Amino acid sequence: MHTEENMNKSRIRKSISLSALMTGVVACIVIVALVTVLVVFIKLYENSMEQNSITSSEQAVVQVMNTVESYTKDMEEIMQMILANMEQESTVRDEFFHNLMQIRSDVVSVTTYDEAGEMLNYWSDELELKETVYQNLSYREIEEGEGMVISKPHVESLFADYYPWVVTISQRTQNAQGEEIMVCMDIRFSNIANYVDDVGIGQHGYCFIMDTEGNIIYHPQQQLIYSGLREEKTEMLVDLKDGAYPKSSVIYTLHTLENSNWRIVGVCYVDEMITSKVENMIRICMTLLGLALITALLAGLLFSRIFGKPANQLAEAMGEFEKDAENFQFELVKGTSEVTALSNSFSQMVVQVQQLMERVRQEEVTLRKTELKALQAQINPHFLYNTLDSIAWMCEEERNEEAVEMVNALARLFRISISKGQELIPLAKELQHAESYLKIQNFRYKNQFTYHFDVDPDCLHYLCNKITIQPIIENAIYHGLDRMIDEGRIEIGIHQMEDGICMSVEDNGVGMSEEQCREILYQDAGDRIGIGIKNVHERIKIYFGDKYGLFIYSELDVGTRVEIRIPKVEEGSYDIK
Amino acid sequence: MTSNKRKRNLMVIAVGLTVICYLLGIRYIISNVSAYGSEGGENTKHYVAVIAKSTESNFWQTVFAGANAASTEYNLSITVDGPDNEEDYETQNRMIEQAVKDGAEVIIFSAVDYNANADAINEAVKQGVDVVVIDSDVNSDKVSSRISTDNYQAGRMAGEAALNFEDEVLNIGIVNFDKNAANGQQREEGFRDMVSADSRVNIVDAINVISTIEDSKEGTLQMLKEHPEINVLATFNEWTSLGVGEAIKESGYADKVSVIAFDNNVASVGLLETGEVDALIVQNPYAMGYLGVEAAYYLIYDLPLAETKVDTATTLVTKENMFEDEFQRVLFSFD
Repeated sequence: MHTEENMNKSRIRKSISLSALMTGVVACIVIVALVTVLVVFIKLYENSMEQNSITSSEQAVVQVMNTVESYTKDMEEIMQMILANMEQESTVRDEFFHNLMQIRSDVVSVTTYDEAGEMLNYWSDELELKETVYQNLSYREIEEGEGMVISKPHVESLFADYYPWVVTISQRTQNAQGEEIMVCMDIRFSNIANYVDDVGIGQHGYCFIMDTEGNIIYHPQQQLIYSGLREEKTEMLVDLKDGAYPKSSVIYTLHTLENSNWRIVGVCYVDEMITSKVENMIRICMTLLGLALITALLAGLLFSRIFGKPANQLAEAMGEFEKDAENFQFELVKGTSEVTALSNSFSQMVVQVQQLMERVRQEEVTLRKTELKALQAQINPHFLYNTLDSIAWMCEEERNEEAVEMVNALARLFRISISKGQELIPLAKELQHAESYLKIQNFRYKNQFTYHFDVDPDCLHYLCNKITIQPIIENAIYHGLDRMIDEGRIEIGIHQMEDGICMSVEDNGVGMSEEQCREILYQDAGDRIGIGIKNVHERIKIYFGDKYGLFIYSELDVGTRVEIRIPKVEEGSYDIK
Repeated sequence: MTSNKRKRNLMVIAVGLTVICYLLGIRYIISNVSAYGSEGGENTKHYVAVIAKSTESNFWQTVFAGANAASTEYNLSITVDGPDNEEDYETQNRMIEQAVKDGAEVIIFSAVDYNANADAINEAVKQGVDVVVIDSDVNSDKVSSRISTDNYQAGRMAGEAALNFEDEVLNIGIVNFDKNAANGQQREEGFRDMVSADSRVNIVDAINVISTIEDSKEGTLQMLKEHPEINVLATFNEWTSLGVGEAIKESGYADKVSVIAFDNNVASVGLLETGEVDALIVQNPYAMGYLGVEAAYYLIYDLPLAETKVDTATTLVTKENMFEDEFQRVLFSFD
């Protein structure tokens, strides 16, 4: 029983439960959806970020360009004013320069040179010219008709202990005396430098200025670049036209200044902008995934509680029903409407099946009873003829008393046999029946055997099926003692058992083999012995259950003991089915 | 029935836990999403403290310029601080404590005293603060990164400059600063190792002065008086360079004595141009500041540092090359 149950369970476990399936499916859907979303998102994000980065670098670079251009324009205008003043008287000129230096603090100095490059004049905001200028970086020879020239940034080298970075704007002109001179104006470069320093593109992007040959004019990190701690691959940018160029993880944006060989380059690191955000996105997605998995798990749990578990309960109940339909008691399984419907139908089915089974059983029992009653009514006619023959013979021999006894015994035999049609009679009567029979047979067999009763008088009021002992005795006489030479002996005992009564019939006849014992109990005895032993056995079983019936112990040439076991049934306590 | 009840309780707990997980998850997501917005916000900036040996010198001003540039770029909040004189390690130790109290995540530090600052630094590291050393080292093995001039190599470079002088005999006087400062000692060692190999060289005298213009000028004049044969002077930081330059200017020995000095103070450059100083070893303070803050950024964000010891380059500048494009950019900083 148990092993079978376990097998059943393991069979159920091997196949996937619905809730696990649910959880798995939800988890898979969530994972697939999230991964898809993530991939699509990253792709879209990368694209839009790149576009964004390009736009923002473009904007930053254009802004720098505009600022630098407007600054240089400003300076060109100042240069025009200076040139216009060159033709003035020297006092007016000095006054002008003094005011200019006051207003524009970014103008460091203005110097004039003759054709040979000798310094003619200088103006500055109270700076002291070196006694000997070691190298003049501000001066550059200007060809005739060259117009205005803007130099590379350099250090101011004209004044003692004063070395600001400047750019020089120079132009050829004529002074008041009509001589050709060159005017050089040094403008502090830090204005532009600071501006470029402050331009940021994205998180770590920046701008720098280079010339058309790829030399760096100004770079916010130039100190790192010149000492080799940083690298800027300007040679790669030289040939590029103005515009934005995404190169692996960097976007370069180039713009060339108008009327100049300066180019503004914006450097923007796309990679780190994207990766940091994508990482963030992945983190978010992982959290979402975790949440979704928890949800799926919970849903599975709920599902298993609501549906899976009741379903299992139902399945188990069905299994049990299958095994033992008769005694099965069904408790309704609670759950969703589907489950309850299923459970209700099953419950009804169980009831119907059990009713059906009961009806079939009842019908069968009734049928058997009728059948057996019919059989039990048949008294062996030979027995009757022989008995009547014996009685006749006794009368002839004028053994009247014996004849009377015989007739009485026969009459008792029949009376008890009929017993108003009742099946169950008190044991006392059954004993009388057996005794009558023995008496008759003893007459007939001329005292070939003796018999003896050993009865527990407490048992006599209990009920038993009628005609149970007699067939056993009949069998003992015909099959056990008939062929014996010695005197036969039949012992009849009635004793109480733990849970019933044991009626025993023991003889010292020829005995039976085990096979014969079985045959007697389970095969039709034929019509040789009226109501066969089998009949008795079956009747007891039908009335009292499988636990009761006949038990035969026999040994060849020693004897046979037949025990009839019945429960203790008192009058009125047994409802006749 | 009781088992049913227990199951129901379990269910309630499971549902409750899930709801809590949900809320936490959503909170996390929201905080993550809103992190985009507040990324540039003041309150989220990480704080880095720069503690220097002094704040006045051109050298340190340039360091701070580099540090500021990097802090803007890496969106960090920095403060710069340093004692008034370059011997005051006690003030420095107090500054370290204060920085830790103020919640600095990284301290960028330059040690006045190789040994006397060690305990304060170790204590700061114990408090969970990362330390990046720039310029001058401290005797601690808990420092995350060291960014400085290779002082020994810089000393050798100075020595090489001395050997380039064409005099037949090189009588060398050394004017160094505080004996406890690691970088000064390393420079002197490199210098001595370089010059001692040459037969022309004779190291006449070596003094240690307080790192101020006055004191080093005084010391130099004293030394020149005691040893008139000296024709080469070597000195190893900005203030002593200026002091030595002043002394030469005052004594009028510009032609007689060749001077090898350190750092690109405007005055030193002026002295180079006028000839009192003959060679300048120019360090890269901007890079120290910049790379120091960059290292701090890497430490704060737990990114791997490429190197734990970075050598910021040094350049030898003489009067002849000082106005060449390349050297201009090294020598003259943008203000």
